[in-house]
Amino acid sequence: MTRSDRPRLVAVLGLLVVLHFGLRPRLGWSQVAPDFLVLALLLYAIRSRPGRAAVAGFAVGLLLDALVPARFGAAALAHTVVGYLAAWGRAVFFPDNLLVNGAVMATGVWLRNAIVLLASGNGGGLGMQLFVWSPLQALTTAATGALVLFVFRDWLDIRLEA
Amino acid sequence: MPPGTVRSLTRRDTVLFSLCVGLSVVLLFIPEIGTSVAAVARSTVLRPVLWLQAWAEASRTSRARFERLRAERDSAAYAAQFLPSLRAENLRLRGLLGLARRLPVPYVAAEVLHQSLPTDGRTLLVSAGSDRGAQPFDPVVGPEGLVGVVRAVEKGTSLVMTWAHPEFRASAYAEPGTVFGVVAPALRMAGAEYLLQLRGVAVRDTIAPGTLVVTSGLGGVYPPGIPIGTVLGPAAEDTGWERIYLVRPASSPELATHVLILRTPGSRDLAPAFAPPALEPAADSLP
Repeated sequence: MTRSDRPRLVAVLGLLVVLHFGLRPRLGWSQVAPDFLVLALLLYAIRSRPGRAAVAGFAVGLLLDALVPARFGAAALAHTVVGYLAAWGRAVFFPDNLLVNGAVMATGVWLRNAIVLLASGNGGGLGMQLFVWSPLQALTTAATGALVLFVFRDWLDIRLEA
Repeated sequence: MPPGTVRSLTRRDTVLFSLCVGLSVVLLFIPEIGTSVAAVARSTVLRPVLWLQAWAEASRTSRARFERLRAERDSAAYAAQFLPSLRAENLRLRGLLGLARRLPVPYVAAEVLHQSLPTDGRTLLVSAGSDRGAQPFDPVVGPEGLVGVVRAVEKGTSLVMTWAHPEFRASAYAEPGTVFGVVAPALRMAGAEYLLQLRGVAVRDTIAPGTLVVTSGLGGVYPPGIPIGTVLGPAAEDTGWERIYLVRPASSPELATHVLILRTPGSRDLAPAFAPPALEPAADSLP
């Protein structure tokens, strides 16, 4: 990420934060609606070093822990791991391909949910959450992420292949 | 970039990652640290985003739309009632309005600010706080029955521990009031539904499926008469010293959009406020 790209990336991330708190509640069906905060974290992580991505993930996780403190620290742990892995994954297999981007976002959301649920302890319905709601939320987030990448491809400086 | 620089950057990445993971684990095992930080965060840096979310929630569901529906009562609005989600939501809102009219204790109405984590539903953030009189240990109800209890309040928001939280407990009895026990989350599901358990029922007592379970008022947190759920049948894990019954919850925290926080309800019996007529299908027609 060059210095001149940074304001554009910050603008896109800011827009995603506003969408998360301003648009997401209007969509309804909270368990399935796209998670714009994880999307912002992943967009940042795949353009950053793993250490910075981990710190960003920790910050996003703390924010969500403050809002859903069912088990404080679970979201911080989950987002730290997801941010770090996304940044590492970029170095290994991240081409400018929309499908791969979408798959990474879907995997990130599912992994985040799995870590949060496991770290929070069994509150019942683990299978339902892991194999029904989380995959659905991962799909909607990935589709939204693909749309964001397509719309802001010039700002994010990526060459998208089909 | 020289190899030494690459190595130091990689080491720095690993150190930062380990530090964040370490801090997260500390927060997991010493939740008191995080809880106090979270309370401060919700009333300071997170206030703007919570305001934004409360505004979005209100304009979605919403009181504005509902009031417009009531004011205009035009055919378009009437047609909208038949969209399943709007219809269910309006039914819930109307149930809540009916309940609010019948409640004999002061209350505060609040919007539920749902979050994206899968554990949303075990705790809920609602848009009424100390500025509107909410206090810790105030019971929280929906039109169907008990939702949970206020755990913490800040100016503008309250944190609600719902019946789905693993630490939730409520003293209850099965109607007509001869069999008492303690309600707790069952940690198992029936299809997509979370269940509750009625524990501590004496071995000599039996409860028929379909029996309504309501709060007993013992313990002083929940007033008597708030519906918790209906008995499904005995649980498999009977201990021999007590009977355990599975209970289908009356309310669903994940789907709740609006709740009522009961202020200082005392020990007044709230059963008449939750009387069935307001929840019957007939209530689903516009006046």
